[in-house]
Amino acid sequence: MRSNAPSPSAPAAVLCGLAGWVPPRVVTNDELAERLDTDDTWIRTRTGIRRRHLAGPGQATSDLAVEAGRLALRSAGGGSGAGSADAVIVTTTTPDRPCPATAPLVAARLGLDGAAAFDVGAVCTGFVYGLATAAGLIASRVAARVLLIGADTYSTIVDPLDRANAVVFGDGAGAVVLRAGHPDERGAVGHFDLGSDGAHEDLIMVAAGGSRRPYADGGEPTPAQRHFAMRGREVYRHAVTRMAASARTTLHRAGRKTDDVDHFVPHQANLRILHSVAEDLGLPRERCVANVDSVGNTGAASIPLALADAAARGRLRPGDRLLLTAFGGGLTWGSCLLTWPSLATHPQSERTTP
Amino acid sequence: MTSAYEELVGILTRLHDAPADLIRSEATLGALDVDSLTTVEISIRIERDLGVTVGDDELQPDLTLGEIAALIDARRATTV
Repeated sequence: MRSNAPSPSAPAAVLCGLAGWVPPRVVTNDELAERLDTDDTWIRTRTGIRRRHLAGPGQATSDLAVEAGRLALRSAGGGSGAGSADAVIVTTTTPDRPCPATAPLVAARLGLDGAAAFDVGAVCTGFVYGLATAAGLIASRVAARVLLIGADTYSTIVDPLDRANAVVFGDGAGAVVLRAGHPDERGAVGHFDLGSDGAHEDLIMVAAGGSRRPYADGGEPTPAQRHFAMRGREVYRHAVTRMAASARTTLHRAGRKTDDVDHFVPHQANLRILHSVAEDLGLPRERCVANVDSVGNTGAASIPLALADAAARGRLRPGDRLLLTAFGGGLTWGSCLLTWPSLATHPQSERTTP
Repeated sequence: MTSAYEELVGILTRLHDAPADLIRSEATLGALDVDSLTTVEISIRIERDLGVTVGDDELQPDLTLGEIAALIDARRATTV
């Protein structure tokens, strides 16, 4: 494949709404240090994370997704179809239930009756995969307006006593609205690079609860099989090399150079991974968008939360060129270019900059 | 050509904020307070920048910078 640019006659997906939402409960490093063998300095020097937000009891992924989705639809504002969408994609690793998908419930709660609704699963790469899926729905004229929500409540699958993961992950949701438009206009999404390597599925995994090891299968799964597990050092190595390669592939497909990138927006896994990838690409750190310090790794929500945070701080100007790059379990990775549009910033999106 | 030791010090100082006077050939990774993710980074960069594979599991805390440089030189000699 030489180029994955949409054909000139097909409509492009154009970003026209954006919002993030994190649950109100803030958990600081000091609070974690009360129950884990760690301290604030250890967490900050290894991850760059100062605090994260966690869902409250009874708060599910759809609850976060609805809040972010509602704010994103509101920010998409004026024009025809304002406040609506004819397709809803939720990308998550922590759906409300194994069955059905979370997106139909989210669509119904947002009043988007009859909208196409389904989930996309690509772990922490979910948002970039979701963008490509949304762009496909729009290019094929299946939908003219797509609400894409990245939402995760990792607190529901991470063992609270697992020091390595409990300090890294946070809960949150980020959403964008994409409308049919022209590839040359501001807000247009593309080019893309998506990839996977399932030979390494064991590096990031919840072992039990699926068809490979069903809960209904007699013998109780051990706590370790029920919880999220990640082989940190190996994941770090794959993340750094795959993200840099995916970013380069995408720039190459678009005929762009690293210098053309005004803002690099990586999946917010760990500050050290972000800085390592930025350095590998030859991008100065100030062009690397990071909010991992205040929300941790929020899975599929991380890129839209980082975008909402940067937008709320006035860092993104219309016409700026953004490169989004993610990496996650699967293994999966992906990148996408995006020209920043003029977006209405809604006061309630302040919630994304706690 | 720059020596493996100088290149290793270059990699380390770009990654790590250890004081320059502590970075000596006899200094161990442990003495420099190099943590596990930093060893992964060092391993990635040795491979990327010097074209030699030194696994992060080989970069044990009791290894000195001089010993790591010797390892790089030995592997370079066998790969050329």
